[in-house]
Amino acid sequence: MRIALAIGTFFILLIHGIVFYDQFFHRWERNQIAYFDQARAMAKTDAERAALSDRSPRIEQIVVSNFGETRVDRCTTCHIASDDPRFATYAQPLRTHPYSIAMGDAQKDGKWERRHKFSEFGCTVCHDGQGRGLEPKYSHGEDEYWPDPLLGHTTQESWRKDYAPKLKGGEYLEANCAQCHTDPGFAGTATVEKGRKLFFATNCYGCHRIEGLSDGTIGPDLTEVGKKWKLDYLWGRIADPRAILATSIMPKFNLKDDEIKALVVFLKSRKGRNFAETEIQRYKVKLTGGAELVQATIKPVEIKPAEMLKQGEKLILDRACTACHKLGARDGGIAPDLSFEGAIKDEQWISDHFRNPKSTMPDSIMPTFRFTDDEFKAMTAYLVSLKAAPALANGEATYKALCLRCHGEKGDGNGPIAIHLDPFPRDLTKAGFMNSKSDQRLVDSIRNGVAGTSMPAWGKLLTDEQAKGVLAYIQTAYTKEPRRELKARQLPEKNPIAMSAESVARGEAQFVNRCAGCHGKKADGKGPNSLDIQPKPRNLRNARFVGSVDDRRLFESILYGVQGTAMPPWIDYGLNNNDVGDLVNFIRSINQKPKGGQNAVATK
Amino acid sequence: MLGWLTGLGLFGSGILSAISNFVFIKPRATYGQPQRFSIGKPDDFPPGVRATLGARGLCVVREGNKIAALSTTCTHLGCIVGVSDSGFACPCHGSRFDQDGTVTGGPAPRPLPWYKVTLAPNGELEVDKDIEITPGSYLSL
Repeated sequence: MRIALAIGTFFILLIHGIVFYDQFFHRWERNQIAYFDQARAMAKTDAERAALSDRSPRIEQIVVSNFGETRVDRCTTCHIASDDPRFATYAQPLRTHPYSIAMGDAQKDGKWERRHKFSEFGCTVCHDGQGRGLEPKYSHGEDEYWPDPLLGHTTQESWRKDYAPKLKGGEYLEANCAQCHTDPGFAGTATVEKGRKLFFATNCYGCHRIEGLSDGTIGPDLTEVGKKWKLDYLWGRIADPRAILATSIMPKFNLKDDEIKALVVFLKSRKGRNFAETEIQRYKVKLTGGAELVQATIKPVEIKPAEMLKQGEKLILDRACTACHKLGARDGGIAPDLSFEGAIKDEQWISDHFRNPKSTMPDSIMPTFRFTDDEFKAMTAYLVSLKAAPALANGEATYKALCLRCHGEKGDGNGPIAIHLDPFPRDLTKAGFMNSKSDQRLVDSIRNGVAGTSMPAWGKLLTDEQAKGVLAYIQTAYTKEPRRELKARQLPEKNPIAMSAESVARGEAQFVNRCAGCHGKKADGKGPNSLDIQPKPRNLRNARFVGSVDDRRLFESILYGVQGTAMPPWIDYGLNNNDVGDLVNFIRSINQKPKGGQNAVATK
Repeated sequence: MLGWLTGLGLFGSGILSAISNFVFIKPRATYGQPQRFSIGKPDDFPPGVRATLGARGLCVVREGNKIAALSTTCTHLGCIVGVSDSGFACPCHGSRFDQDGTVTGGPAPRPLPWYKVTLAPNGELEVDKDIEITPGSYLSL
């Protein structure tokens, strides 16, 4: 008992001692003592020496409140010599903060004077890091969960290793200069400027909103992106969006490392508020949503009728269409080829697609861009003029030139741009589907395209012979299975049930019971089962598509199913012509053509 | 022997906690503005000047090559006193101080404190409002 008591009290003493040591002998205290000793040795006058001997280690603290938000910086607790020019050659933490003209410092009578005084700006405004921390691990933000790691000098343990070599060095500091010095072309923020230009040149502005700069609505708002995310995350989201977030719809752009770096630095500088701005300036931006700034960045072009084509071409090349689309030698690798757009699309379609991509292709991811009417006209005129058809020797050459971009090298629908298309390109290797359709139907799809999807009407570019040649190539190279005799199916040419409110109601009840699991409650093809079905169920609200298929084809798909997909033959589950008639009426009723002819060309 | 060990453990712990309590009864850092701060280069204060730094609550006095910093916070109710011909005067309650901060009239009970001024290594003057010095002691430049 007494032994236990003795050991117990000794143990308490030990713990107490450890805590005591931890609280009384900090690293920063040892730093400060070292500084005082060395400074005293360097002191030239007695007064200086006396001033130093008055000082004892304590937490040095700068409270910065000039910039609208109060920051507490204790960095000088360790970096106590940062404003003492005699320590320029010492090792950190006892090193003088360098003076440089780039930071606005000036030399006067052979002595440097700082432009950004620590007492006014603190340290974390420029360097990030956690101002209140007194241990390097916390103050430098090496801990994974601290929000602002020291910019530029710290690569965190937990950061992605493959980006780590690219994320070192002071280049990233520019981002914090540009927090306040937002004026384009500010000396010392060249990388930020490059990033800003790339933001427009690679179309980021089309999807993303940055208050006062751009107003895209498809992607996340980037106004405060620099405050929220760390360098490696930003890098990853740009370099390979899907590697970081599997559900990202952001395309992988063809960017080089230095371009990604510029974009990361630019984004890191977007922290929501400019510290140098006054409340009134900020309020003004808020009121207008920064519209003036947007217009200052993207100036409307005055279109001269005589140079319409030339100006249209320039607009298309300058305003980042080729960041996604292919046009001649330029290829963004994300969206369809525009090289012979004039031959396969008519002027109305192109113009509609420009003004509102979703009106011609309901599931398009193309953003709606800010252009003036004249600009739209010029760009349309230029695209319409692209009528030169490529030379196509045989079916294989045709496939490679026209189809491969979407349907892929293996014909399985996994073309380089397929992931950005909705609906997904048809998998041509699925014999079930390919062999359940007549040759004529497949040739028709090639020649007339599929309305409401990215499949264009190639018939305007290919002769009947050439279309058949491509189909033959597809069937031998990809589908492979020999075609079987198609069974004759009994299908009505016209829907036998007349369109009426009762019929639509019956159809809707059927739809909810039988179809909504895959096609979704809204019939948009996003039902709960659609997640693991490939190809995805058809979006039945795609008015252009639904308008382009006849009753017979809808009846066939519903009654006999679609081979090679998850759509079953409903005739096996007891549906008869009358039920399908109701369903077809229901589907047609939710796809009424809006008045005003926006969809007038859909069924052409 | 065991008794001794037990005693040592308890006694040691007691001493350590007494010291800790004594030291940490006062916080090591608070969130107010720091009390030691730089006020600029000596050249900013030409000889003969009596410059008030409103936000800091200070009056910097330079006479020839001697410099000092006086508080401008009245010792009566904490009003900020203004510089007058004869020294300092409180606009609210009428306390009057001479050039050195000694009370010459009004309700103020004590003279205005003088703060320690030092020359920092970067060539700027540093005032430490935590350290009061005897009135009349200047820093020689």
